[in-house]
Formats: sequence, structure tokens, C-alpha cells
Amino acid sequence: MLNRGVNYKIPRNLLFLFESIALFLMFMYYRNALDRSTIIYGLSLIFIIYISNLILSKIVSGDNYIFLIVTMLASIGIIMIYRINYEQGFKQIIWISLGIVLFFATYFIVKRIKGWEKLFLYYCLASVFLFLATLLLGRRFKGAINWISIGGISFQPTEIIKILAILMIASYYTNYDRFKEKKWGRYYLIGIMYLFVFFLFLQRDLGSVLIFCSLFLALQYIYDENRKLVLANIVVLMFSGLLGYVIFPHVRIRFETWINPWEYIDTIGYQITQSLFAISEGGFFGTGLGLGHPDFIPEVSKDFIFSAICEEMGILTGIGVIMLFMILVYRGFKISINQRNKFFRIVALGISILFGIQSFIIFGGVINMIPLTGITIPFVSYGGSSMLSSFIALGILQVASEELDIEED
Amino acid sequence: MFNILSLVFKYVFIVIIYMFIFSIIKLIYLDIKGIRPIPADSGTYLKLINRKDTLPFKVKEYYPLEDNVFLGRGNDNEIVIKDPYISKKHLRIVKDEDEYFLEDLKSANGTYVNGDRVMDVVKLNNGDRISVGQVEFLFVNKE
Amino acid sequence: MEKEIKRIITVLAGICILFVSLVVYLTYFQIFKADKVKNSSYNKRLWINEEKILRGSIIDRNGKILAYSELNGETYARVYNYGSLYSHIIGYSYRDYGKSNLELYYNNVLLNTSESAALNELKNLVEPNSEGNTLKLTIDHHLQEYSRNQMKGKKGAIVAMNPSTGEIYAMVSLPDFNPSTLREDWGNIVEDENSPLLNRAISGLYQPGSTFKVVTAISALENNMYMEDYECTGTAVVDGYPLKDYDGKGHGTVNLNEALIYSCNPYFAETGIKLGIDRLSETAEKFLLNREIPFDLPVKKSLFPKKGNIGKTDVAAASIGQGKVLVTPLNMALIASGIANKGDIMKPVLVKEVISKDGKVIDSFKAEMISRATDIFTANELKNMMVDVVNKGTGKNARISNIRVAGKTGTAENPSGNDHAWFIGFAPADDPKIAIAVILEEEGSTGGQKAAPIARNIMLEALNTINN
Repeated sequence: MLNRGVNYKIPRNLLFLFESIALFLMFMYYRNALDRSTIIYGLSLIFIIYISNLILSKIVSGDNYIFLIVTMLASIGIIMIYRINYEQGFKQIIWISLGIVLFFATYFIVKRIKGWEKLFLYYCLASVFLFLATLLLGRRFKGAINWISIGGISFQPTEIIKILAILMIASYYTNYDRFKEKKWGRYYLIGIMYLFVFFLFLQRDLGSVLIFCSLFLALQYIYDENRKLVLANIVVLMFSGLLGYVIFPHVRIRFETWINPWEYIDTIGYQITQSLFAISEGGFFGTGLGLGHPDFIPEVSKDFIFSAICEEMGILTGIGVIMLFMILVYRGFKISINQRNKFFRIVALGISILFGIQSFIIFGGVINMIPLTGITIPFVSYGGSSMLSSFIALGILQVASEELDIEED
Repeated sequence: MFNILSLVFKYVFIVIIYMFIFSIIKLIYLDIKGIRPIPADSGTYLKLINRKDTLPFKVKEYYPLEDNVFLGRGNDNEIVIKDPYISKKHLRIVKDEDEYFLEDLKSANGTYVNGDRVMDVVKLNNGDRISVGQVEFLFVNKE
Repeated sequence: MEKEIKRIITVLAGICILFVSLVVYLTYFQIFKADKVKNSSYNKRLWINEEKILRGSIIDRNGKILAYSELNGETYARVYNYGSLYSHIIGYSYRDYGKSNLELYYNNVLLNTSESAALNELKNLVEPNSEGNTLKLTIDHHLQEYSRNQMKGKKGAIVAMNPSTGEIYAMVSLPDFNPSTLREDWGNIVEDENSPLLNRAISGLYQPGSTFKVVTAISALENNMYMEDYECTGTAVVDGYPLKDYDGKGHGTVNLNEALIYSCNPYFAETGIKLGIDRLSETAEKFLLNREIPFDLPVKKSLFPKKGNIGKTDVAAASIGQGKVLVTPLNMALIASGIANKGDIMKPVLVKEVISKDGKVIDSFKAEMISRATDIFTANELKNMMVDVVNKGTGKNARISNIRVAGKTGTAENPSGNDHAWFIGFAPADDPKIAIAVILEEEGSTGGQKAAPIARNIMLEALNTINN
């Protein structure tokens, strides 16, 4: 009996309902500036999300939850962004649609082509190339150089490197036995990772440093046969963290603002204190969409979108978003455990850890539980690079959720 | 007017989001109930292709195969599936000299391997799709 | 393989713990910290809403306007009519410096908003340009002004109140500051080592000196442990330490009444030791030491040594209001009120009424007893002794012709500077209309000489001008 009512329709329809009400509310909010294209954009987004979930449940033999969860997250994000900034909301709709297209494209390409685990060297070279390009062509933004623009399109290479790094780590451990035979083979990966972290540090992108370190550490902990190396790595990372704190003022200042943001309220503590005001103003149920003042927080639609959600939709919604991420990560791990292909098992793990750690770092940052580092929430924050790369990662995860070895044999 | 709507809807949103989360958790719960992760070296097994939650009866994600396995609706089978379209004793999979054979036990609705109805006995190869009632399995042989 | 799955699950558990800790922290933040953060003056949201509301006025017991708001461009700004006179009662309300005192603690009443954001939202929908409530204080503007003038140039505090209702007529703390010019003065105010922001009347802790002897005397009477005749040599030696009288000369043979009249230290020290710390602290706590005093503004807790193991010298010192006894001036005024009011201490009150914008009284204070400090007979006996203190003893400077005044002086040794001068008392003794506590901080003179005349003037002025 229990099973009868349970199927994908329920969450799919709830998502549809949520989007429809929220969009209706947004049309009310902008009722004076409403034109035909806005309505078309909004409605088509709802349509795209609904249809893609429907298609996915028909054609895919693997997991069906992750895409649902992600589209829910993206919907919450787009509503909030649209309410804060009309034009950004517009663009975000395009990014999400493109992201969904990329998701399907990635899914089919990755599934069709074999031999992803053999490309260790290429992942590595591509990442290094992107790093160098960033350093040479990069623009400094908010103190970090992590944007490059080519032909009018600017993007964050780090977002792509994250995925490349996961693929690289996975192919390394898949072919671990082969690497082991070489003289320094056991230390290839750790050397490359340190190089990456060094690059990121040069870019002053502390958030990404944190993501890469924890991602690598987690995968190394699971897969490295050399346990002493794991331990050594932990010691080295802790030591360099300490060293960074002592040597670099911009690391220290982040730490100090975390300890007491009120002391720096006029300067570097401004964002975080504004974020805390927003969250505390919202209470459990929020002020209601359009009735709060999330616009007091600088950069609110990117790094601080979570504070805006907490202010206008309440920390209950905030907790809901956190739970959605937790389920997403859980599903990713489940996919990994069920996957018999080692390469995709590691890739699934890497992507889940990436989603988990990245969202944790920024959630924790904006509520001042941990020092604030400027990174985006996957699928929720405003921004093309982040949205597209997250959907690509999701596409790979979708592939990993299927039985793959059969077709390979 | 907008303010009042917004005030009302904020509660609606929270309710919807939590219902969404709840329904996903419920799906996942139904999903994992009964699955154990299959160890990689566990030889031969049947893997469910349908999504569990679309089926209105209990079915596992994996069924490891031993030398002689019966599948059917009755409780005396090794693999019990309470699908009304499956017969009491529906089919049997036997291992003979490292080969697996599927035998349809004169079931009412028949057994299909890769779309072809099994008339008597058929040899199973890795990757074969086995359809019984509303359920579809993948035959996996790692030996 | 098994090991791999085990490790994967370890990592999963780690990430789940991180997420759960986020939820826990967020909830913790919302429940315990959010209110404080939200009310920070840096929070622009507060002002966006508040400046659209006409903040209620604050008036004295006779309806004189002490503070009000006026339209300044698009938003409202606060005007304080009497400069620094009410700095420690009304406080200030500024966008950049926040709020203090009644402006802070009665913010929601003055704005006519509620704690719950949801209710406020609904209210704003119905009534976009709302108006706050007016606060009517128990303060008598004339007496407040008169009291502050009496203290001119000195440091210290005055609390004058109605002993039978608890209404505060005047509460002065000096030095003070001018809320009207807060922006210009802020730097000086913060750096001033005399801490003008401190409301000494409720947050200053002082040794009460001999004024505390009234409590020791009550304890002795209640426990029947007073001495009928005691040979005072001017010094009592307790555990080898001599305890001297103020002038060091003996008072000869004294009983309790005479000991109080002449403020005889050896007598009370001996009595205190005889009573012991348990009985003494029991009486002290009935007079609200070591207890939270409910009030419209937060009051520091007065301190008395706890029951248990303390040395004889400490007991002796405590019984004459020295050593480890620390009190707020408000507490001393309440002690005087308790004796005046037949042993019952009433809850002190600052806000008499809350009046809505259409003139209706929507809330008014009710006289409330907060401690039965002693019985009517003991209170009566003490009152007579205190009348004698004023008529014949150290409190002669508080005498008013044709009116019986009860009082007790005190001169508290101050380890970090000059002595503090104290006076507590009430008048008329037979039907008390006003009770008072005066402290002059580091005055370097006796309570009888400096504090008593100020108290006398204020009591006389109150009796002449305040009619209930």
C-alpha cells in the first residue's frame, strides 16, 4: 500500500507548484515593470525544468533524485536572484537553461565515449594550462585573480579545473597499480595537487584552496595505500595553513574578521555583519519575499544568496536548502558505493564531496560559523561559470549512477 | 496586496520545500530498504533494471545467484517477488559447468530474455535482460 | 573493497556532521543571538522601519514634555528638551549611536511595535504611518531639576521616591552627559575617566558605611541580640584588628538607640559578631542585597558576604557597612522606604503610565510589594531611632522645622580615594511621603556634613511641591 502513492510525480509536482507560486509572486512584485518577455522567460523555465525531469525519469536507468534535488535548489536560487535584481534573474534563467542542456550533453558524451580513466596526463596538462592562463590573463576581482575573459566572455577557470582535478585523481587511483611501479609514481598525485594549491594561493583564491585541499584529502584517505603519506599530507596541510596565517596578512585578516566581525564593521567586516543582520532579521519564517532588505548586503546574489534566502524565506528554508545539499551528497555517495567501475566510483565520490564541501564552506562562511571565503553555492548562486560547471559535474554524476561495466565488457 | 500575498506565501513555500524534501527522503528510504551494496567479487547476480519505487511490491536491487535458484510469487522460492503477473513458481536458473541456464517453469505470462520469450531453456550471457511480469533484470556474470 | 566502503562511509559521515553542525549553529544563532544582532544600531533595517514611525513622547508625572520626536525631512528625529537632566533616565536614541535607558528598554512601547516581526508587518499593512505611545514617568520634573542643582559640581547619585508606592520622583547620577549633543561629545564622553555614561544610582556599587547600621540594628532587634549597655572606648579589637570610631573618642555607655544616634562603630561591630554572618545576611537579603531588583532599567545586584565561612573581622566590617558590602544607591533608597513603609519594600517604578496616541491610558503601573523586609513593630522602633539620629545625633543637618525627619548618615571608607558621604532617610516620620538616598562620591567629608543637608532640602522641596 505504501508504495502505491510513491513515485516521482509527487516531488516533481511539488517543484512545479513551488515554481508557479513563486513566479506568480514575482510577477506581482514587478507588476509595474512586467513585459511579455519576462513572462515568457519565467514560464519557459518552469516548463524546461518540468520536462527535463520528466524526460530524465523516462530515459535514464540510473539515479533520478539528483536532478530533481538540483532543480529544486536552482529554483530557490533563481527566485531569490530575480527578486533581488531583475536583470540578473533574467540572465540566470538563461544560465540554468544552458546548464540543463549541458547536463544532457555531458551525460550522453561521457556515457558514449570510453576510456576516460586513461587520460590522466591530459587532465593534468589541461589544468596546468588553465592555471597559467588565469595567472597571465586573469583579472583581479575582489582581491582574487580568478577570472579570465576571452572574446568578451569571461569565466572562472577554477570551476573547470575542479572537475578536471576530480577526473585526474580518479584516473590516478584507477591506474594506481601501474603508477606504483614507477620510481616516484606514488608521489605523482600529491606533487601535482600541491602545485594546484600553490597556483590557487597565488591567485589568492582561499575558498578554492580549501575546496581542493579537502577534496584531495578525502579521496586520498579513501584510496591511497600508503597510509603514512596520508598522515604526512594532513600534517603538511595543517602546517602550511598555520604558516599562511603567520606570513600572509590577507589570510590573517579573514581569520580576525571571523573571530570578531563587529570590530571591522566599517571595513572588511561589513559584508559578514550585513549578512548576520539579514539572517537574524528573517527569523524562522522570514520576512516574506520582497519584504526584507537583502540588498543591504553587497554581492548578495553571488556569495551571500544564502543570507538573502534566510532573510526573506526564513531560516527554515535555509535549513531546507542545507538538507537538500545533504541529500544530494548522500545520493552521490550511494551512487558511488553501487558503482562497480572504479574510475566512475571515484569520480562520483569526488563530485559529491565537491558539492558538499563547497556548499558547506560558503554556508558556514555567511553565517560566520567558519571564516568567510568568497565562493559560490553550486546551483543556487548567480553566475554562469559556476552554474554551467556544476551542471557538467552533475551530468557526470548521472552517468556514474548507471551500471557501466556491462557495456564495457 | 502584494505584501499580504507574500506574507501568506512564505509559509506556503516552507511547507512545499519540506514536503519536497520529505518525499525525496521517502523515495530514498524505499530505495535502500533491502539493498546491500554488492561486493565487487561476488560473481553472478541479477540486477533490477526497473526503478524500485515504480513497482507496487517489494523487490531487491540485487539477487546473487547460487547453483540452483527458483523465482516466483510463492514463498518457497529463493527469489520471492509478489508481482501478480508472476506465477507461483515462475522460473529457475541453474548453473551447469560454469554456464547459467534459465528455465521457464510453464509460467502463465512467460519469461523474456532480451525480448524473446523463453520456450524451454536458454543459456544466459552476461548483460542479458530478463523480463518477468512487470520486472526486468540484468543478468551479470563476472566469472 | 570492504575497507574502501568503510572509508567512504567515514567520509560521508564526516560531511553529514558538517551539514548537521550548520543546521545546529543556524538554529542556535537564531534563538540565542539573533535578537541582539538585530537590534544593533548598525542594522539599517531597524531605522528604515523606525524612522517612519512617530516615536512617542516622554512626559513627567505632571505632563511636562521631556522628550519628543519631530519630522526632519522625511524621517523623524528625537528632541531632548532638558539636555543632560534626563540622560540617565531617558537616555538617547540615535541611528549611529544606538539607544540607551528608557529609549532602549521601552523601544517597542515608544514605537508601538511588538517583538514579533510578523505582527509588525501586518500592522504596517493596515496602518502605514503609525504613531507610537507616550510614556508618562513617575519623575517630578521640578524635583529632578532641583535635585540635580543640589548636586552641582559633585559626583554621586540621588534617588528620591514614594515609599508606599515605589514611584521614583527623582533619580540623579552625576557626572552625566547631554543626549542632544551626543554626536559632538561622544569622543569625550567615552574617554572621560569619570564615566558619565554610568548611571550611578542603579549601576554604581558603593560601600554603604554607617547607613547600613540600620540593617544591623533591625537584625539585632528581630533576633533579640542587642546590648542594653555597652562600654564604648572608641575602639573595638576584633581578632587583633582595631575598629575605630570616626573621631576615635569613646561614646561611654550606650544602648542600641544611642549607638545608632552617635553611629558607634564598636557597638555595631560587636553586635554583628554576636549575630553572626548567617543572621546578618538573612536580614540583608530581605533588604534586597544579593537579590535582583525588578525595575524599568537594569539594576546591578548589591552584594553582601554569603553565609558560611568568613572571618570575624569581615563580619564586623560588614555589620558597619564596610569591607565586602557593596550597594547601589537605589537599594539604599529602598531600605529607607522599607523602614518608612512598615517593613514592606515596594517595587521601584519609573514608568507610571503608557498612553496611546489617542490619549487612552493603555497600561499603568500597580504598586507591588517585592519584599517583606521586617515586621511593623521593628520598623516602627527603627523609625523612632532614626528620628533621634536626625534630632540629636549625626544627622542634625537634615532637620526640618515642624516636620519629624528620620535618617541615618554614613561615611564610607574608600580604599581608592576620599571617603564617600551617605545619607538615607524619609519624612514625615509618622506618615512618610518621601524616602531618599544620597551619596556623594569621594566627597572626603562626612555624610552628616555634606549629604544630610542635600537630602533635607530635597525632602522639604518634595513635601512642598508634590501632591499626589
